[in-house]
Amino acid sequence: MNKEIAEQIKGMLVERLRIPADELEYDSELFGEDIGLDSIDSIEIVVGVENLFGVDLSGAAKEDFRSIETLTAYVEAHKED
Amino acid sequence: MLNEKRCVITGLGLVCATGDNTDECFQAALDGKSGIEDAKSFDTTECYSHKGAEVKLTDEQLAGGKYDRTTALGIKAAGEAIRDAGLDMDSEDASEIGVLLGSCIAGAACVDKYYNQKERGEKGDPNDIMSISATVIAGNVADYYNAGGITANIVNACAAGTLSLALAIDLIRGGKGEIFLAGGCDSFSSLAYAGFHALRALSPSECSPFNHSDGITLGEGAGVLVVESYEHAVKRGAKIYCDVLGSGVSSDAYHITAPRPDGEGQMSVITRAVKNSGLKFTDIDYVNAHGTGTAKNDESEFLSLKTIFGENKDLYVSSTKSMTGHCLGAAGAIEAVLTVKALKEGKLPPTTGYSEEDLEVLKEKSGGIRFIANKPAEKEIKYAMSNSFAFGGNNASIVFAKDPNVLNLTCPKQCLYVTGIGIVSGDYDEASGDYIAKLENEEFKNYGIKSAFLRKLDRLSQLQLLSGLRALEDAGITVTEENENIIGICIGTNDGPMTEIANFQKGIIRDGIEKGSAFAFPNTVYNAAGGYLSIATGIKGYNVTIANGYQSGLQSVCAAAGAIMFGYESIMLASGTDECTVIDDEIYSDLGLTGEGKMTLGEGSSTCIIEKDSSAAERGAKRYAKIAGFSSARDTSGDRTDNVRLSAKALKKAIGSVLEEGGMKASEISCIYGFGNGIKRIDDFEMEVYKEIFGEDIEVKLVKKDYGEARAASSSLQFAMLAKDIYEGRTENGIAVSYGTSALYSAVLLTKA
Repeated sequence: MNKEIAEQIKGMLVERLRIPADELEYDSELFGEDIGLDSIDSIEIVVGVENLFGVDLSGAAKEDFRSIETLTAYVEAHKED
Repeated sequence: MLNEKRCVITGLGLVCATGDNTDECFQAALDGKSGIEDAKSFDTTECYSHKGAEVKLTDEQLAGGKYDRTTALGIKAAGEAIRDAGLDMDSEDASEIGVLLGSCIAGAACVDKYYNQKERGEKGDPNDIMSISATVIAGNVADYYNAGGITANIVNACAAGTLSLALAIDLIRGGKGEIFLAGGCDSFSSLAYAGFHALRALSPSECSPFNHSDGITLGEGAGVLVVESYEHAVKRGAKIYCDVLGSGVSSDAYHITAPRPDGEGQMSVITRAVKNSGLKFTDIDYVNAHGTGTAKNDESEFLSLKTIFGENKDLYVSSTKSMTGHCLGAAGAIEAVLTVKALKEGKLPPTTGYSEEDLEVLKEKSGGIRFIANKPAEKEIKYAMSNSFAFGGNNASIVFAKDPNVLNLTCPKQCLYVTGIGIVSGDYDEASGDYIAKLENEEFKNYGIKSAFLRKLDRLSQLQLLSGLRALEDAGITVTEENENIIGICIGTNDGPMTEIANFQKGIIRDGIEKGSAFAFPNTVYNAAGGYLSIATGIKGYNVTIANGYQSGLQSVCAAAGAIMFGYESIMLASGTDECTVIDDEIYSDLGLTGEGKMTLGEGSSTCIIEKDSSAAERGAKRYAKIAGFSSARDTSGDRTDNVRLSAKALKKAIGSVLEEGGMKASEISCIYGFGNGIKRIDDFEMEVYKEIFGEDIEVKLVKKDYGEARAASSSLQFAMLAKDIYEGRTENGIAVSYGTSALYSAVLLTKA
């Protein structure tokens, strides 16, 4: 996993969705019991990731939104350098 | 004091995308003429939707160009309503006319302008700042026309226009006024456009309510109705359009943006309005539906209407938003004007945009309901209802009638008590120079608030939630299925969620309208705090938020008392809440109000539980104090263009009224909780008036010395501390007094329980 990307995504989640940083691990279930995000939050993540990396998440599968780890993998795979 | 006064509509004013006045708009509605076109107010190139229902008139044409567009729209519609009602605004009678206006986005056009200037490194215009908050709208409209009665801005998002009418009839029936200009206004704005765009709630083309239901089309406009007691109307020989019977207000306690899929809250509000009106479900002839065009709204509303009006085989329904667009805080008022016209003329406007195929689908979907599609229905009707459902899970409904009816309002004179207090106030913070409140996650956790919920709440909502939870705990009230429908919420605020509004706007200035924050947008509505409080606690009753200057925290007590008097609720949470962040610091500093020798900002929230005698007795509640009188007063003498003017006349009138209501003499009053905030002009004025009424020795307590100018949170804190002082024996009785813009003052008299 690209730690630099993961840290940026984590920072974005903390800032845009006000998730307490100390409750957020790379493998936390974002939409499950751990953090409890919902559909409005997922729209926010799409915009946040696009702003940070220019990667369009709107076509991504539900599993790609599961955790910071999966989001990082998606960004890594679709990022144009 | 209380009766079931007959309330009538005697004047109409309307401006929206389909026309510049009521007749034009009503004719357009009958003709099925839509006002939706490509949006022109700002560039939507990068958005997936480009539609809007904008008013063609410029700010200059609406109101001379001096006001924010939302206020200008309100001025335009109010002017027509005044002329239509034949009101002489230069006469002595104008001093009795109050103004109650609903708004959702308030001065969003000025927010846009101010932060664009700031982002470019320019100095912001104080005139823009003064127009940003909803707090000034009704006062400015009232001042414009020399209307000297009391004012309020109802800021319950898309239900605001209907709620302002509901408040008007309550105030008239409660003896707090005889005549009001009531309605709502909202302008087209990049803020709302970007917000609904972010939520993917805009239709890609023209909205199609109860049809394709693929999203809303935003509009702008204003509707203003002259609501008057029958006696007053007859006395001045006014023409009468119709009666206003009862209203309903309820909370979903479900989600901040989405309605309950099962329609429970919507059915509850319709039931309340029908019941309060003394009617049966089968009596209603026409419903002007909320019908926004989003899948979630249309599905739940369809379900609600079909379920609750199942026995009604002759019910006509339409959504005029297919032509006017969704005008947010103005929507309910615009629809009320169209509904009154439909009732009067026996012509019911349609929902437009159905193809032959759509009509087939509609036939199956609508079951026994007569959905009016494409063409108007000609039908003499007796009872018409208008419904509005808003963000925060706020629902409002109102019934208009051709003839009077015996209402089902229980308004016996009864004593009201303060039975619980929850205070959140600030401590002096060296770094910011403000009084800042502590919000500990641990305390929220102890109240059972999960962090996944808490993180959604902006600062204003967290302050409000905490004071509400503390007050309920202090009163020993647990919200259960048994009492959830007899508890309501009334919140006052001066600046609302200004931090969320500013940050959202800054975000779209920086990133583009197409990249608004879906997370932040729901919090930019003023009633989000009240919505979250209802969701967190499960309170499903009355829910109103009033933004009306620093005195809003006291006006919320007045409105809460009204909600109990009419039997809507047994228990009300009355709050005042305002936040203090770097955004507020910037705004107040740009206004030149803070700094050496001026006021120090604070923040906080105080919630008092107001409860009727029988409910308090049944629970064995502790009683802090008895509400012996509440009153608001205004004055339009002097320079009306100066909306921060002071008026000894209005202040004396507010105090005089509570003394009269409480049957007390000035010499019997032990203390005053005043509003002095360190600005010499205001402090001197205040002391002068008190000395004149109560003599040199009257004790005046000033909370702002210890907690800063926390605006609406200060006025509610004055009230709460007075109640505590009485309970703990520090004083026999007292009056809490506060002020707002456009020379508005409120006073509440508390005595021993």
